[in-house]
Amino acid sequence: MFFELIARNSKRSRKENGLFFTTLLVSVIAFYIILSLSRQDVMFFLQEMESDAVNRLLTMIPVFYVMTLVVLFFLIYFASKFQLERRRHEFGMYLMMGMTRNRLFALLLAEDMRSSVIALLIGLPSGVLLSELISLVTARLVGLGIIGHRFSLSVQAILLTAAGFFLIKLAAFLILSAKISRQEIGSLLAERPEETKRQHPAFVYGLALLAGLLCLGTAYYLAIRGISWSQIRMMGITVLLGFAGTLLFFYGLRYIFNLIIKTGKRDRRLHIFNVRQLQENVVRQSGTMAVSSLLILGALCCFGAGVAIAAHYGQSGEHVLDYTFIPEYTDEPNQEQAAVDVFDTLREYGLDTEFSDLFEMKIGDIRTADDFENSYSMDDVLDQAAGFPASDDRDILLNNLGFADFPSLISLSGYNELLRTAGLPEVELGKNEGAVYMDSSFLNDNRAEIMNTILAEQPEVKIAGDPLRLTGKVQTTPVVTDYSITLSFALILPDDAFQYYTQDQYDVYVNGVLDSSASEQSGLMQAISGMNERLNETGLAYESDLQNMGRQLFYIVAASYITIYLAIIFLIVANTVIGVQFLMNQQKTNRRYKILVRLGAMYETLCRSAKKQINWYFGLPVFAAAVSSLFAVRALFSGILSPMTQGTEGEMLVVSAAMILVLCVIECIYMTAVKRSSRKYLLTLMAPEREE
Amino acid sequence: MNTVLEIDSLKKYYGKPGNQTKALNGISFQVMEGEFLGIMGSSGSGKTTLLNCIATVIQPGGGRIVMRGTQIHSLKGKKLAQYRGKEIGYLFQNFELIDNLTGRENIMLPMSLHNVPDQEGKNRLSRLAAYLEITDVLDKFPSQMSGGQKQRVAAARALIMDPGIILADEPTGALDTKNAKTLMKKLAGLNEEENATILMVTHDSNAASYCKRILFIQDGQIFHELRRDIPDETRPDFYERILKVMSQLGGGSANVL
Repeated sequence: MFFELIARNSKRSRKENGLFFTTLLVSVIAFYIILSLSRQDVMFFLQEMESDAVNRLLTMIPVFYVMTLVVLFFLIYFASKFQLERRRHEFGMYLMMGMTRNRLFALLLAEDMRSSVIALLIGLPSGVLLSELISLVTARLVGLGIIGHRFSLSVQAILLTAAGFFLIKLAAFLILSAKISRQEIGSLLAERPEETKRQHPAFVYGLALLAGLLCLGTAYYLAIRGISWSQIRMMGITVLLGFAGTLLFFYGLRYIFNLIIKTGKRDRRLHIFNVRQLQENVVRQSGTMAVSSLLILGALCCFGAGVAIAAHYGQSGEHVLDYTFIPEYTDEPNQEQAAVDVFDTLREYGLDTEFSDLFEMKIGDIRTADDFENSYSMDDVLDQAAGFPASDDRDILLNNLGFADFPSLISLSGYNELLRTAGLPEVELGKNEGAVYMDSSFLNDNRAEIMNTILAEQPEVKIAGDPLRLTGKVQTTPVVTDYSITLSFALILPDDAFQYYTQDQYDVYVNGVLDSSASEQSGLMQAISGMNERLNETGLAYESDLQNMGRQLFYIVAASYITIYLAIIFLIVANTVIGVQFLMNQQKTNRRYKILVRLGAMYETLCRSAKKQINWYFGLPVFAAAVSSLFAVRALFSGILSPMTQGTEGEMLVVSAAMILVLCVIECIYMTAVKRSSRKYLLTLMAPEREE
Repeated sequence: MNTVLEIDSLKKYYGKPGNQTKALNGISFQVMEGEFLGIMGSSGSGKTTLLNCIATVIQPGGGRIVMRGTQIHSLKGKKLAQYRGKEIGYLFQNFELIDNLTGRENIMLPMSLHNVPDQEGKNRLSRLAAYLEITDVLDKFPSQMSGGQKQRVAAARALIMDPGIILADEPTGALDTKNAKTLMKKLAGLNEEENATILMVTHDSNAASYCKRILFIQDGQIFHELRRDIPDETRPDFYERILKVMSQLGGGSANVL
């Protein structure tokens, strides 16, 4: 009998609160996926080359795990509280009939455990399946090939998921049931006394609203002006202001509701009833609404940050070179001989045929001038740049150029070889002419435009006291594979001039491009990976593009995994809290709906009224979050992204549109679910019942 | 005088044959326009079932209810809603005011529900409020009103749509004697001056003495009928007569175990 009661009660709870149960399921799945991250194919692959970063990411996972536990605890505590509140009368009856408090406690605990176990039983297999699917899809997407895939079941992840889930469920349960079981039977049986509404004078709410808007405004200003990024303290202040502003805003919102009622649109179709219902919900739960709104904002920020990071590191710039060999340093003034040794070694191991192209890239410094610091000047260029209309890009460019008083030199022959490989037009230089090389990370479209306009005028500069005419377009094709070696400003000179100004002291890098037949067979990543193994036997020092690809891949994977995970958790928690709160309030105030029915309200009228309330109830926090996110995400972009990727407004718009779309879809799903539950519930109110 | 409401052999049985409760067992009567009809009976006699049938909250098992010529159980959808909103005003024992609406908003609720233009209601509201002496609580919430004020606000809500008939279910049940008296005086006054038709269910003989006619129900059937002899009979005299019938109800002293 006891166990049958448990089974029946827990089934009823799940049915009545499907939304909550579904959220628990999703959170179990999310837990497993994040905890089993290390078992993903991509992660196995990355661990070989980016083991440091991967390990750092993996050590951060417990932090995310704990953070999610805390957020989920908030949800579970909250939803369970409502669930138990609703059953007060039932508990009172059990106690009246002679059930001991211990037994009631055991009953509730068993019910809770039962639904937890069911959530885990459904959630864990789904989590395992989904994580496998994600693993396969990402492996396919990044070109790893899925042949090597093996089914991986992370026992540790399963155990941790179950443990964490039970832990928060149990904690919430203990706190709540302790509260319930301490109450007297009489107060359990009695209808819950209406909470006394302590009303402050209207101007208090008006002030709160004003203060909230002011706080939010200041936070927006700090964020968007980039002031927040200047110091940790400023960032703290911004976040704090935003937090306080949201809380105050929702607290003061009742002022607006009062205004709406006072200025009174015509009261049709239960307009005033709807506003009053909303007002009551917002007034009673302004805190939770604000927190929900902040969670949604958090989700949007996570999403934005994820996109930004992925865009930043995922930029697969121009890919020309697969390898750069770094000759062993010798005491010779230049490294020509060492470069020849590299060629010899490659030939010795029979690897030279694997490359479709191998060439030298010579890079040196100006050594003809005594004063290293001021061996180069380009006042003309600077003057011209300053003549452009004021913009951030112009100022950044001016700043960069201002520091270029000791530029690196690149020999023309090597650079043209590179351009040929890349299939780009070669640079042609006459006597006393030079071309400008700037790494693409220092340029964006606007800055390149400014530079090209200046170079078109063929300005004259001074190099070690000699005049030099700059010509052609600014060059950006990377000179070596290692993306961390960047030259903010360098000069490409004809070989004679190069030899002269470097005084024959320069470094030589050997660049290689793999034969395309190898990479076509197994994918570039696999080809490079295989080549690396063979090169490791030769003892040559080299940089391969694999590192860069791996680094990019890692950042994309890490960013998208973590941010999507957090965004989803935040979103579902916030939405479930809002939804459950609405439904519970509806059930709490069922008497009002019954009165409306007695007054002749049709089922459709009630549904329409509930629908309107739901739209607004979800809409308010979502809208507040959306407005805040406009500023927060922009601030995030400017804080995280390098100048190069800060990109055009168009890209920003696309990202924002995608975010808003995702948000809309999720909100729609939740709102539809809540509306459906509400309709179902209202239908039960339509049936008359005998009241004495 | 026109017939407002006609009840014809109304039946409502609960439960399965063999173990059946006959809440209404073929009850028939008529309510004339401008009548103040009381229905009395002990607990479980079928009073509330009768009222609920008229209010279309429950379906009767048999018989007819005709309101101004329309048989109400043939009504569906919008017409049914119109009937509930416009033809009947319901006054409940425990007021049934919505606690997060002010008095004014509660009274105007039926208008909002049935999309009636505001202006009409506003004039009527101020007249009703003045008559029922609730003008100063219009902007208060139910929790800030006394029981009597709540019931008068509820009365105003029942009257705001100018219904054909007011159904009052034990309207004094939750009131103290003083407030009950005030309410009954107001209801009787509405009946006298505005010619409002009222059908009141009660088991309070005192409240019933304000009626013009009283039907006594027992086991789902009419057991007795009393008519106040106006203007010859005073209210206290009518009250005495009611008490006498009440003591007869359920078989009188012969039925005492």
